[in-house]
Amino acid sequence: MSTPTPGAPLLSVRDLTVVVRGAQGQRALLSRVSLDLGKGEILGLVGESGSGKSLFCRSLVQLLPSRALAVTGGTAVMAGRDLLSLSEADMGALRGAKIGMIFQNPSSHLDPVMRVGDQIAEGLMFHRKLGRKAAKAEAIAIMTQVGFTDPARQFASYPHEFSGGMRQRAMIAVALACDPDILIADEPTTALDVTIQAQILKLLMDLRDQRGLSIILITHDLGVVAQTCDRIAVMRQGELVEQGPKRDLLARPQHPYTQALIASHPSMDEAAPTEPPAPPAPPRRPLMEIDDLHVRYPVSGGLFGRRRSFSAVAGVSLRIMPGETVGIVGESGSGKSTLARAMLGLAPISDGHVSFDGDSLRLKRDATLAKMRRQAAMVFQDPFNSLNARLTIGETLAEVLRVQGKVARAAIPARVEELLRLVELDPGLAGRRPRQLSGGQCQRAGIARALAVEPRLIVADECVAALDVTIQAQIVDLFRRLVATMDLTLVFIAHDLAIVRHLCERVVVMHHGRIVEEGACAEVFEHPREAYTAALIAAIPDIDPDRPLHAPPAGALTA
Amino acid sequence: MSAPALPRPLNPTLVAGLAIVGLFALAALAAPLIAPADPIYQDAAARLQAPSLAHPFGTDNFGRDILSRIIYGARVDLQMAVIGVFFPLVIGTVIGALAGFFGGLVDAVLMRLIDIILAFPFLVLMLSIIAILGPGLSSFYIAMALVGWVSYARLIRAQILVLKNADYAVAAVSLGFSRSRVLFRHLLPNSVAGSLVFCMSDAVLVLLSGAAISYLGLGVQPPTAEWGIMVAEGQAFLSQAWWITLFPGLSIVFLAFGFSMIGDALGEIMGVHE
Repeated sequence: MSTPTPGAPLLSVRDLTVVVRGAQGQRALLSRVSLDLGKGEILGLVGESGSGKSLFCRSLVQLLPSRALAVTGGTAVMAGRDLLSLSEADMGALRGAKIGMIFQNPSSHLDPVMRVGDQIAEGLMFHRKLGRKAAKAEAIAIMTQVGFTDPARQFASYPHEFSGGMRQRAMIAVALACDPDILIADEPTTALDVTIQAQILKLLMDLRDQRGLSIILITHDLGVVAQTCDRIAVMRQGELVEQGPKRDLLARPQHPYTQALIASHPSMDEAAPTEPPAPPAPPRRPLMEIDDLHVRYPVSGGLFGRRRSFSAVAGVSLRIMPGETVGIVGESGSGKSTLARAMLGLAPISDGHVSFDGDSLRLKRDATLAKMRRQAAMVFQDPFNSLNARLTIGETLAEVLRVQGKVARAAIPARVEELLRLVELDPGLAGRRPRQLSGGQCQRAGIARALAVEPRLIVADECVAALDVTIQAQIVDLFRRLVATMDLTLVFIAHDLAIVRHLCERVVVMHHGRIVEEGACAEVFEHPREAYTAALIAAIPDIDPDRPLHAPPAGALTA
Repeated sequence: MSAPALPRPLNPTLVAGLAIVGLFALAALAAPLIAPADPIYQDAAARLQAPSLAHPFGTDNFGRDILSRIIYGARVDLQMAVIGVFFPLVIGTVIGALAGFFGGLVDAVLMRLIDIILAFPFLVLMLSIIAILGPGLSSFYIAMALVGWVSYARLIRAQILVLKNADYAVAAVSLGFSRSRVLFRHLLPNSVAGSLVFCMSDAVLVLLSGAAISYLGLGVQPPTAEWGIMVAEGQAFLSQAWWITLFPGLSIVFLAFGFSMIGDALGEIMGVHE
């Protein structure tokens, strides 16, 4: 890894202040942020959602997301010019040519009806005034550089023909097309699977080494920063709380917020605080038994095409004992969410059996469903979308209690309050609607709704994936306390292996609709038997910079 | 549902739209009090008089006061807009919700029915139904209810199709809620925003088709004051007495404008088109 060249920084931001003008006057979203970016340096900008890290980068290129926002002070000097005072025309020439940007969601930033190659060539023709032929040749060269395997053919493909990881590569190629000095990468890997994330991060580092590119990497994942960046800047509520070389900052964080952030990172390194294995209980009946489960969805092959089907779950067998905490991990498309829904009778079962407490969902569907609806509940990924936006939290909980009828009507308000306390929410929030709450609060409300059923089984589907790291840690802690104090069986589905390791006793690894490995958490993570599991574990960015990222070669896993 | 009133700056478009529609509604309610003359009283001595102090909007070929006729006409036209929207909205919402929620055969049958209705030009179908039932306002309302619900049904169906896979709908099913509870308490309230916005622009269309049908002699019968008829009657005298046609025409335009402003503002507030 190269070190940043000493001397004058490439970009020097001083006292950048951005305010939002609302009905109640001005409010500062960024207050006096000062940062330097050296040539060939990768700067990690870390902070939770709303901390202003994206806004900081957007104000550098005068792309503020709303007209109510305005830069009211500060300078951002690049090559002797203040970016903040450039005219729209000058900025237009500079955007893309000197500063390139890539974003979290590549599919929404690529034009869906334009060939990928043309999108790359477009910038070349506009900024570098290349002819059509020359632009195409150059675009293919860039596509090769960012890891397209067959660029000459892929030049003519549309974005939807690529996977998420390849689309992110295409975005990077578009950004690199004009040979910028600075690349702003805004959460470039958040939407990607961990193995793909590792490949993209590796690519960014290679580009820095080959081109001397300076990169501002915005992320909420300290592991990503630890693996890729030279320097780290931590932002919180619009202020820069701490910055420094990554090793110093990670080893000796000064600001309490940075310390909290580092503490809440679910690093794989730390041994999971698992209790000694419970004394061997007498053999019990499994609470949930899945036997050779298949879930197939029809894929229409057109009017006259053959009817084909896609197997989301292809022959899964699993037993879950009462009181167990089972983690199911796998990349997107591995079928773990479909499995979760099929377990609760929410997805059609094509073949095989799901039995809940001894009753088969296929043989006695209605009776088993009725039982399941009163003894099992689900927690969803998107905390906002999983609650009815028109009902207050209190109304949502009271409705569940009324329908389930386990609590006397008169006792419902008291039970609602009790449930909110159980998930550590202020009962005063019962009158709020989901949109008036934060993501973490909503997720707690979602858990309270699941608990309102007084379930024996909770299936949590990626329920922390949409949350900030510190909130993630709190929710995982909450689950751990609930499992310990109540007689709960938990199936916890996540793509984040570190979280599963912290929370679960047993882990099931899924790939392409099948279980590739299962066993006690500690054992699977220490000594994975399957190459796929090992690759998944190795691709997790560790917070320790001296444990280098291991990127599996592109295509090796998806074959 | 208790709605905690959020202090929100008033939307100027909404205020303007409500003011226009409210003004017409007030005029309709207080017609006997504010109209300067009887709307069907014919004054043979004052035919085709240009606007003056005595007759601010002039008089028509029977010597009737145009301003008074417009004020009384607001009663008929507002009623047409409200009833002509209400029944299609209700029918369309229920049918669309059932089609979207149950899918399968129910959906296929209802959607083909909608396709058949849409295959006919709107006015032609309206006119045929009214011709069969006989001219008059009630025929107009029946025809409107039979034809107008299709757009609402399609809007609601599309919303329900999306929302029934939303996490909160799946959550409701997983909590053991009955189908009707999931549909009517959770899905429907979240899917009507678009229809409520659309019904404002639909009110404009209803108003115009009501006026058109009266103009063709199939709606409100003379001598009742109605803006569409007034436009039709004034047409013959357009070269001598422009005011007979202009003022009722302007009234239609203003009321329509008011409705569409309310629709726009509602869309903005409810976040339908962000």
